[in-house]
Amino acid sequence: MSAETTGEPIIEVKDLRKSFGSNEVLKGIDLTVRAGEVVSLIGPSGSGKSTILRCLNQLETPSGGSIVIDGFDLTDQKVDINEVRRHIGMVFQHFNLFPNMTVRENITLAPIETGKKSKAEANAQAEALLERVGLSDKADARPAQLSGGQKQRVAIARALAMEPKIMLFDEATSALDPEMVGEVLAVIRELAGTGMTLVLVTHEMGFAREVCDRVVFLSDGVVCEQGTPDELFGSPKQERTQEFLSKVL
Amino acid sequence: MHHRNAHHRLRIALAGGLAGFLLLATAGAATAAELSEPDAGAAHSAVEGETYVIATDTTFAPFEFRDTSSGDLKGIDIDILKAIADQQGFEVEIQSLGFQAALSAVTSGQADGVIAGMSITDERKETFDFSEPYFDSGVQMAVAADDDTTKGYEDLAGKTVVAKSGAEGLAEAQKLAEKYDFTVKPLDQSATMVESVKNGSAVALFDDYPVLAYGIAQGSGLKAVTDKIPGGQYGFAVNKGDNGELLAAFNDGLAKLKATGEYDEILDTYLADPASQASSGGSFFDLIADSAPALGKGLWNTVSITVVAFVIALVLGVVFGFMKIARSRVVRGIASVYVAIFRGTPVLVWAFLFYFGLPQLTGAPGNIFWAGTATLALNAGAYLTEVIRGGLRAVDPGQMEAARSLGLGWGKSMQRVVVPQAVKISTPAIINQFVITLKDSSLLLTIGFAELLYQAQQIYSANYRTTEMLIIVGLMYFVVITLLTWVANIVDRKVNK
Repeated sequence: MSAETTGEPIIEVKDLRKSFGSNEVLKGIDLTVRAGEVVSLIGPSGSGKSTILRCLNQLETPSGGSIVIDGFDLTDQKVDINEVRRHIGMVFQHFNLFPNMTVRENITLAPIETGKKSKAEANAQAEALLERVGLSDKADARPAQLSGGQKQRVAIARALAMEPKIMLFDEATSALDPEMVGEVLAVIRELAGTGMTLVLVTHEMGFAREVCDRVVFLSDGVVCEQGTPDELFGSPKQERTQEFLSKVL
Repeated sequence: MHHRNAHHRLRIALAGGLAGFLLLATAGAATAAELSEPDAGAAHSAVEGETYVIATDTTFAPFEFRDTSSGDLKGIDIDILKAIADQQGFEVEIQSLGFQAALSAVTSGQADGVIAGMSITDERKETFDFSEPYFDSGVQMAVAADDDTTKGYEDLAGKTVVAKSGAEGLAEAQKLAEKYDFTVKPLDQSATMVESVKNGSAVALFDDYPVLAYGIAQGSGLKAVTDKIPGGQYGFAVNKGDNGELLAAFNDGLAKLKATGEYDEILDTYLADPASQASSGGSFFDLIADSAPALGKGLWNTVSITVVAFVIALVLGVVFGFMKIARSRVVRGIASVYVAIFRGTPVLVWAFLFYFGLPQLTGAPGNIFWAGTATLALNAGAYLTEVIRGGLRAVDPGQMEAARSLGLGWGKSMQRVVVPQAVKISTPAIINQFVITLKDSSLLLTIGFAELLYQAQQIYSANYRTTEMLIIVGLMYFVVITLLTWVANIVDRKVNK
């Protein structure tokens, strides 16, 4: 799509390395994402997809390499990581909603605590976000009262409340019952249409093909192959890509 | 003013005395002497207007015991001491600590003197300076009133008797034990000794004859079958080398009491017609009514020290609990050492250390409430550290990640997301620890803190209705703990929705 050629780079990853003990999970990742691009990371489990996402908002500290997001060099000690994170929304596989709060409180916590919004503004915004994800009637519910699909839609609304420039989805539908996957994908699809930058780790190949501008195939800690969905799914060049796709498609 | 200054300096010097500041003590005494010189013509200038802390036993009727209805300390020792103080013009602050604790209080500088039905012995003279004897005692044996087989020492062969630890009765019993081949078991209190004989775990007890005679008259259920072993003289004592003017005033006052006949009056009050002293006759309910004021005070002390100590313990538990999940190995290590020390040692050890040991090291006088509070707080804090660490660790790490990913700092994430969930998880264990701490507070009776069980001991040591008193305080603990647990559970449900 056009975004790839016109947008400024908003995420620039160079030679990213990450080890857990003696186990090197990322072995030098180079990845550039432009503003407005929708990119999905695919690959076999253990290939390092989720670790890349977690390094992007510093839930993991890289062992080496550099990450520049929206002009902030994350390897620079002077960068306030909390400030950077406010521009990056993250959606987790297991939702991670706060069970001690209502749905509304989950969504308004960060905007209020960071001083971004007054309580009234945050509540109004929460109403709007809940309507957008189709859960207007659940504002006063507790997370425990929601289905998996509903929880994940609240989690997306919670991340959106900080009005981020980038949204990261870490296997957002993997923990859902099959009949609930669609409602969450619909919300992500709607977001993709707004021109927001999205990076998704996903196993939904059909969805990746339909929504993404670019698909990155990772294998064994390195970027093995990347391209438009048509290129990667239609005519994969690398043997490992072909092997992986033959198993999942 | 001069007296007050001299007294103040003297007290500071005395407090430091046992810690090795002997020079200072001498200087303090010298200062006191100099300052009192101008009115040397007055008879009792060295002690007049002074206030002395005098330690005593808790449970040695008729020498010292609590009046069941008023809760006031009374007895031969108390009356003689007060009469001498009046006569000599000084004030006394009596601390009822238990026999061994009273001796420790004097040697550690916590108290200026001790009067506790204490026999004058050569061994004790190495540590204490004694007054002239104020009472001629002696040891006597007693057996259960319904025991028709034990008629003399020769019937004790192969059996067990009880005697009071560190008292003359123990020494006499041990002497006889060799000749008559019986076993002597030392116990701390007269009331426990009486119970041991009544329940059959010992056939006889050896105790000071006035105690025995008074107990029998009170309905202790014992009888004396042998004659009194003459010996034993009781004396008032001060720490060796200290408070010479107090000792002199005691001797002077005692001589005058004997001359006026006041001394004999005091003894008669307690010994001549013991039956008239019956402090709590009547039914179980009369006993409850009579002991209510003293037990009420004990209950207040139990609850207040538990609450104060537990609030501090919660702070300690939170601080060390967070330290236990810290990234720094040193910080985690400090918290682990704290927990290991206070979880790995008995509460009693710390109670004695804080109340008797610490003042000897620092020279500052000990405060029983705060020594007790520190003991309970540090102990409960160690357990709460583990409870809170467990609670924090039990919260899904994804909760912290989600909060951080929204741009909240570590502190805010902890405060708003992790801690509320950890508190909810930990609440039952925290309530549990509160109940344990409340019960542990009864251990503080050993340093003389007037909590509930201590008050009950005071009462049954005077009236020998041990079982009934224990049932009453047992019920009081049960009711209080049940009520507090009920309240805590309601709060838990309100707060941790």
